[in-house]
Amino acid sequence: MRTLRYIGRRLLVLVPQLFLISIITFTLVRMLPGDPARLELGPLAPEEGVELLRHQLRLDRPLPQQYIAYLQRLLQGDFGRSWVNSSSVAQDLLVRAPATLELITAGMLIVLAVMVPIALLSASPSCGWLARATRRISFGYGLLAGALPDFWLGLVLIFVFFSVLGWAPGPEGRLAILDLPPERVTGFYVVDTLLAGNFDTFVSALSHLALPAVTLAFVYGGPIFKMVRSSMEAALRSDYTIYAEGLGLPRRTVLLWAMRNAAPPAVVVTGVVAGYLLGGAVLIETVFNLNGIGQYAVQSITTADYAPIQGFVLVAAVFTMMVYLFVDLLLFMIDPRVSARAF
Amino acid sequence: MSARKVDDDKRRQHPPARVVRYAAHRRVVGLWSRLSRFDQAVLVVFVVVLATAAIGPFVTPYPPTFADPLQRLVAPNGAHPFGTDENGIDVLSRLIAAPRTDVLIAVIATTLSVAIGAPLGVVAGYFEGADRRAMRWISEGTLRLLDVIQAFPVFILAMVLVAIRGTGPVNVVFAVAFVNFPVFLRLVRSEILSLREHPYAEAAVALGNSELGVGFKHLLPNAWPTVLVQVSVTIGFAVLLTAGLSFVGAGVSPPTPELGSMIASGAKFMIIGQWWVAMFPGLLLGLIVFTFAVMGDIVGKLAEPGQRAIPSRRLLSKDRVAPAAHAEAAAPSAQGAVLSVRGLAIEAVGRPPILDGVSFDLMPGEILGVVGFPGSGKSILVRAIVRLLGDGLQRAGLVLFRGKDLAELDEKALRAIRGYEILPLLPNAKSQLNPLVRVGDLMVAHIRAHDRCSRRKAHARAARMLGAIGIGDAEHWLAAYPHELSGGMAQRVCLAIALVHRPPLIIADEPTAGLDVTVQRQVLDLMIELCHQSGAAQVLATRELGIVAHYCNRVAVLHEGLIVEMGSVRDVLLAPRHAVTRRLIAAADLRAVSAAATTNTSSKIVP
Repeated sequence: MRTLRYIGRRLLVLVPQLFLISIITFTLVRMLPGDPARLELGPLAPEEGVELLRHQLRLDRPLPQQYIAYLQRLLQGDFGRSWVNSSSVAQDLLVRAPATLELITAGMLIVLAVMVPIALLSASPSCGWLARATRRISFGYGLLAGALPDFWLGLVLIFVFFSVLGWAPGPEGRLAILDLPPERVTGFYVVDTLLAGNFDTFVSALSHLALPAVTLAFVYGGPIFKMVRSSMEAALRSDYTIYAEGLGLPRRTVLLWAMRNAAPPAVVVTGVVAGYLLGGAVLIETVFNLNGIGQYAVQSITTADYAPIQGFVLVAAVFTMMVYLFVDLLLFMIDPRVSARAF
Repeated sequence: MSARKVDDDKRRQHPPARVVRYAAHRRVVGLWSRLSRFDQAVLVVFVVVLATAAIGPFVTPYPPTFADPLQRLVAPNGAHPFGTDENGIDVLSRLIAAPRTDVLIAVIATTLSVAIGAPLGVVAGYFEGADRRAMRWISEGTLRLLDVIQAFPVFILAMVLVAIRGTGPVNVVFAVAFVNFPVFLRLVRSEILSLREHPYAEAAVALGNSELGVGFKHLLPNAWPTVLVQVSVTIGFAVLLTAGLSFVGAGVSPPTPELGSMIASGAKFMIIGQWWVAMFPGLLLGLIVFTFAVMGDIVGKLAEPGQRAIPSRRLLSKDRVAPAAHAEAAAPSAQGAVLSVRGLAIEAVGRPPILDGVSFDLMPGEILGVVGFPGSGKSILVRAIVRLLGDGLQRAGLVLFRGKDLAELDEKALRAIRGYEILPLLPNAKSQLNPLVRVGDLMVAHIRAHDRCSRRKAHARAARMLGAIGIGDAEHWLAAYPHELSGGMAQRVCLAIALVHRPPLIIADEPTAGLDVTVQRQVLDLMIELCHQSGAAQVLATRELGIVAHYCNRVAVLHEGLIVEMGSVRDVLLAPRHAVTRRLIAAADLRAVSAAATTNTSSKIVP
C-alpha cells in the first residue's frame, strides 16, 4: 500500500517534468532563426507546402495555441518529418533506438560484470594478491577514467583490434555488410539472432558490439566504479561493520551487509550515468557507425534537419526522466530509510 | 626605549622585502613538501600545460597551419617526430599550438558558468532557507527546472546551441557555459545552505546585515574552496566537450589548430593504419583533462586546513617495527582470571603511543571501570582487547583470554571467540546497527554464527531474549529496522545481543553515550543486573565517574595510555593518590561520586 502510494506520488512529479521537457523542446525550435515550417521542410520545399504545414502547425496562431498543437501531435506519436530522408521522425527513431539501447545495455552489463566486482574487491581491506592486484588496477583505472575522450578511445580500439591485430571487425555498423539482419523481435541483434537460431550472425553481431560496448564501459563506468569503491570502503569502515565483526558474524555476512549499504549511492550514480548515456554515447555511435538514434541526431545537426533533433532531444530527456524514476523506485525498495522519509 | 618601540612597530607594519620574500618562499616550500610525489609530478605537468596554452603557437618547430603538400602523412621521423597529417602539416607543431584553443575555450566557458551559476546558487540557497513560503517554492521550482535541464542530453544540447548560433569559438564558449552552469548553481546552493547554519552567519545577520548580503559577503567566500575544486574538474570536462563538438564538426573548424578536429581528421587514417595523426591529440587531450582533474584534488587537499596530502597508504604498510614490549608483560597472570592484559601497547607510526604498556587482570564476574579524560585511550584499550582496531596500528603485549593469547589467534578462531565469549557493547547503539538490516536478521545471524540451529529456532530465541530484558512485543521489534528504534531501545537490543550467549566477558565502551539521562540509568541497571545473573565479567570504559562509583568493583584510571592508578572503587575514588584521579573527581559531580563510592561495597564481593 505504501509502495503504491509512493509510486503514485513519484509519478505525479513526473507529469510537470514531462510538460517542462515538451515546453523546452518546443521553444528550442522557436529559438532558431527562421520559420519552423520552413525549417522542417528544408530549403528545397516549395512555398505552397510550407504554407500548408504552417497552417497545420497553427503557426499563424498565437504561441500558446502553437504549443497545444505541438502537444497534440506529440500525443499522436507525430514527431514531424525529416526533410533530408523525407521520412517520419517517429519511425526513424523507432527503427534506430534498439541499436542505441543495445549499446547502452551491453556497456552497462560490462560495467556490472567486470568493474563493479573489481571495485568491491579493491575496497576490501584484505592483503591477498588478488586484493593487491585489484587495488593496482583500480588506481590506474581511476586515473584514466574520465580523462580519455570516448571518441578517441573508440578509434584507438579500432586501430589496435581491427587494423593491427585483426581480432575485431572494423567500424562498419552492427553487422558485417553481407550479414542479413535477423527478424525483429526485440530489436537487439544479439538477442534476435539467438531467437532466430542463427548462430553465425549472432557471433557477427556480438563481435560488432564488443568494441563500442567496451569503449562505453571504460569511459562511462568510471563514476560508477569510483562510487562503488568509495561507498564500499565507507561501509567497511563504519561502526556497524566493526560491530558486526565484533559479534563474530561470518565474513561472508559482514561483506554482504556492507554491500547492501554500498548499494544505494552506487545505484544512484548508475542511474545518472545510464540516463546520461542515451544522449551521451552519440560519439561512440558515430565512431563505430552503429546507426543508432545518437548518430541520427548528429547527422541531423550537420544537415540542419531540425525535426529529428527536436524528436531526439525529447526522447533522450524523457528517457533520462524515466531512468531517474526507475532509480527512485529501486531506492525505495532497497533502502527502508527512504520509504520512512517519504511519508 | 620608546624609540626602539616605534622602530619595532614600524617593522611590524612594513616588514623588509627580504622578510616577505623569505616568508613567501617558506610557504611555497611548505605547500610543496606537503604534496606526494605523484601530486608534485602532476603540478609540474599542469604548469607545462598552462605554459603551452599561453605561448604554444609561438614556439612550434613548424608553423602550425603551414601545409607542405610534399610531406603528406609522413610517419614519425627525425624531422617530424610525431609525423604529419593529410595536408602535410607537422603534427607536433599543431599539438603545441592546439591546447591554446581548447584550454582557453574551456577556461572562459567555465568562468562564465561560475559567474552565472554561483550568484544564482546564493540566491537559491537564500530563498530556500527563507521564512516566506513563496520564496521556498520558487527555490524548489528552480531546482526541479534544473533537474529537467540536466535531463537533456548535454552533448546534443551543446550541438544544438552551436547549430543555432553558428560554429566558432565564441558560440562554443556559450554552449559549454550553458551546459555547465547548473553544476555550480547546485554546488553553491548546497554550500550556502550548510554554511548559513554557522554561528558567524547568524551573527552577521544579527548585526543588521541583510540575509542576501551576508550570503554574498560572508558565505560565498567560504564556499570558494569547494567551488574551486569543481572548477578544475569542470574545466577538464569542458575541454572534452569542446573537443567532442569539434570532432563532429560543430565546434572549432579546421585551419585553427584544435585537438578534437585533429582527431576527426585523423580518424579515417587510423583505421587504415596511419595512427599518428589521431593518436597524439587524443593522448594530449587525456593528459590535459587528467591534469585538471587531479589539480582539483590537490587544491582541495591544500585548501582544507589540517589535511595532510600524504596518502594514507604509507601508514598502512605492513613493514614496521612493533613497539617495545614492557617489562610487566612477563608478569604471570592471576589465578583464574578471565582476562589478563600484559604490557599492551598500541601506536600509529610516527605518533606518540596511544597505549603505553597497560596491564591488568579481570576476575570472573568482576566489573572493572576504565576512566580517564577524553583522548586518554579508553576506547582504544577496550577495542584493542578484541582486536577491533582495524589496520594501521601496531600493537605489542599480551591479551590473554582464559589463557589464550587473542593476538595470536587466526581469523577463524578469533571469530569463534568474538561475539560468543567476548561481547562488545559500543557507544551510540543506533550507529552500531546496520541501517539496512532488520534487528531480527542481525540477532538471528549472530545466534546462528555461534550455535548451529535452524533459523526458526534462532528467531524464537531472539524473541525470548528481547522479552528477558523487558522488551514487550518482541516480534514487532525483530521486524523493525534500526531507524525505527529509539537510542535507548537500540542499546537494549545490543544488550540483548551481548547476553544471548551468556558470555563470560563483556567489553563496554561508553555504552550509555548518546542516551537520555533517565534512559541511561535504566539501561545501566539492566546491564549490571543481567551481568550479575549470568556471571559475566565486564570492562567498562566511561568518562563518568558516577557510573563507575555506582556500578563497578574496581577502577583503573587511564592517562596518556598508561594506567596511573588502579584499585577498588572505594579506595581510588575516596582517597585518590594520583593527580589525574583528583582532577577527574574534581571535574565530576562530587556528590554523585562520593556518595555512591561510600556505599559501594561491591569490591568486597570479589576475592
